[in-house]
Amino acid sequence: MNLKQPLFIAITLSIICLLSWEIYWRSQGKIPDLDDDKNLWAVQRAKVDNATENDAVLLGSSRVLFDFQLDEWQAETGVRPIQLASAGASPLPIFHDIVNNTNYKGTILVGVTPGLFFSTTYPEASPWKRAQSRVDYFKDRTYAQRLNHWLSLPLQKNFVLVSTSEEGWSDDIDLKSLLNNISISNRTGKPQYPPFNSFAYIEEDRNNPMSKKTATDTVFANSIKTVWKFLIMGNQNPPEREATTNFFLADAKKFMERGGNLILVRCPSSGWIKGGEDKFLSREEFWEPLVNASKAKAYYFEDYNQFKNLICPEDSHLSAKDARFFTTELVRIMKADGALSNSKTN
Amino acid sequence: MLFNSLSFIVFLVIVLALYYSKLFNWTGKKRMLLFASYVFYGLWNPPLVILLWISTGVDWITGKKLSTEENQKKRKLWLLLSMCVNLGFLGFFKYGNFLLENFTHLMNSIGVEYQAQPMDIILPMGISFYTFQTMSYTIDMYLKRTERAKTFLDFALYVTFFPQLVAGPIVRAGDLISQFYEEKRATINQFIWGTFLLTIGLFQKVVLADTLLSDTSDEVFGAKGVLSGLDAWTGTLAFSGQIFFDFAGYSTCAIGIALMLGIILPDNFRYPYAAIGFSDLWRRWHISLSTWLRDYLYIPLGGNKHGILRMYVALMVTMLLGGLWHGAAWTFVIWGALHGIYLVIERLLRNKIHIKINAINGIFLALLTYTLVNFTWVFFRAREFSTAKNIITSMLFMNSDGEKLLQTFDILKVFVLITLLFICHWVMRNTSMEEVSKKTSPWLLGIAWAVMFFLIAIAQGSGEQFIYFQF
Repeated sequence: MNLKQPLFIAITLSIICLLSWEIYWRSQGKIPDLDDDKNLWAVQRAKVDNATENDAVLLGSSRVLFDFQLDEWQAETGVRPIQLASAGASPLPIFHDIVNNTNYKGTILVGVTPGLFFSTTYPEASPWKRAQSRVDYFKDRTYAQRLNHWLSLPLQKNFVLVSTSEEGWSDDIDLKSLLNNISISNRTGKPQYPPFNSFAYIEEDRNNPMSKKTATDTVFANSIKTVWKFLIMGNQNPPEREATTNFFLADAKKFMERGGNLILVRCPSSGWIKGGEDKFLSREEFWEPLVNASKAKAYYFEDYNQFKNLICPEDSHLSAKDARFFTTELVRIMKADGALSNSKTN
Repeated sequence: MLFNSLSFIVFLVIVLALYYSKLFNWTGKKRMLLFASYVFYGLWNPPLVILLWISTGVDWITGKKLSTEENQKKRKLWLLLSMCVNLGFLGFFKYGNFLLENFTHLMNSIGVEYQAQPMDIILPMGISFYTFQTMSYTIDMYLKRTERAKTFLDFALYVTFFPQLVAGPIVRAGDLISQFYEEKRATINQFIWGTFLLTIGLFQKVVLADTLLSDTSDEVFGAKGVLSGLDAWTGTLAFSGQIFFDFAGYSTCAIGIALMLGIILPDNFRYPYAAIGFSDLWRRWHISLSTWLRDYLYIPLGGNKHGILRMYVALMVTMLLGGLWHGAAWTFVIWGALHGIYLVIERLLRNKIHIKINAINGIFLALLTYTLVNFTWVFFRAREFSTAKNIITSMLFMNSDGEKLLQTFDILKVFVLITLLFICHWVMRNTSMEEVSKKTSPWLLGIAWAVMFFLIAIAQGSGEQFIYFQF
């Protein structure tokens, strides 16, 4: 049996198929992008172990991820912050990890998205588990996993066909996601999760601007709003205000006692989401007691004229342009307050 | 390091380049392979390479002593030393917490207040595989069934050879060490066939097991409530396919990679879901383990040489321990017990009923065997007995108002794939992939190869572990 011929045919056809696949998805508007997965997060988390008092670490949920742009922060302070915010997750497990497993005593900015920050301390609940699983992965990752990530970066940056995500976006193009989009009938009778497409592009250091399409295409932005409604209306769990506040306060006290600089930020929201947050997770009942008890420096977007009129295209996150503005302005405010120092040297 | 990862592709390219370069003589190449094997293992958890070294050292010394020592008592002591070290490691790392947990239960059940914190133990990847492999060498040396390895390098490479280090096939010393004595180079055809096998193995793992079947199985076995019969069957069938593709995929990759180096590893699977009866199944499923259990457990326990009762006891003990080999949980013991019971019943029936197998009754019996195997998979996959009970009762259609968990497309996907799997095994049951490929046109083979490669590439496997790594 001569196997050279089948090998030649296989190589030729494989190259043709993969090229066609790449060209097809590019023609559909896909561009190469990185996956905001546990590996990307772990690389940033590792930086905290060697961070100094001049450094800044950003924690929170997706609002911190979208609304703080690292270039603008760096331009204002001279320091590029370490972005550790994690979408759909409570910041509490990550803050707990940094306070208890590192000696870091620089600046930590914690974004308070009320629905996630005050959600739970139950380890199996999604907002906690999503964050904790990243912390656990950072601790347990093997050298092989580090190497795989390092090798995958150039491929992710250059080829659409390797595009996939840990999140499982509806517009992912890996085989499993494509098959998951096929639906014949709703046999279970349960409400179906609406299509949830990726609406940002993340960079290697997790700088994460919102995609232009989300900011400019109202229909697309509305599809994201539909997902927020589905998630929020489907959540039957009441917030655990006391448990989450107390958990955070214990770590906050420890961090500030060792000289750490803690800043709390309430990022903008708008529309239906803002209405719900004001009604069910009000500033007076949730944010104010947290700020008063923690004694941390705190910034609520509505207290500043320049942020009052910012509109989030899908109700929860700022467009890339507004995020740049928000970052620059807020950092200037924090610097003026002495909450942030300027280590920039001209 | 996983076969389905980018780091392994780079690793393999470097190893092959060095292996076929003129930089080293044969001893140098073997040293390079040994070093590469430690890197392959150590990139997962470097300190655990020490266990491999200890196991290698102890069995090398034991083998050396057994080859010269004539005093039977001393020979036994050397064998005992090797068994204690190997089974000691296995017992501590794999069964430590299980034993502690059961001891606590036992104490509490007889009224003794005793609480113990579970120990924080990492299970070394593939410990069951390399332990059994090194033990086979020592036992064969003791029984004078094999020659002592000529050099320490040959022996260390036998224990650590990276293609089959973490999930087999479990290779006997006589089959592998002797291949290291003379320089090996794959012929061009062997090399290409090895690459083809690697592609098939990855296709089975990445596309069939991880992409098409694992989610359905995970969803069903992760369900808290009682499911409908259709959902329970779909989940169990999905797992039966997943575990086959996952494990056979690994073995196929291992055989292919070794062949690319000119080393021949034995088959580990021969289309098991077309087995007619359970003796046939165990001649086709995880062959290297079932033959190991036969030679080092079933036969020493008496086999079929000491009467029917002793044979049945030996069979049950072998299958129970075989179950426990897979994992430190009572669900695995039940899995082994069910297989033991199936084998006993089959032997009882075989003495009373004589059937001449033809195509029609053959496929019926194969289907019956596969159906019964699925009931055993429930215990293999379920983490809790309550889950297993729920699934089994649903599979027996005893839960008429069970929850509908899966969508229609998922059910169709699993049933189509499993039907194709069964047909494929039935068609292939008396032949081999190599035989079939010889009769296939180069164009068809090339197209099939390209399709598999393309699907692997777009499946974007996230480097999920092979199920059998945990065993």
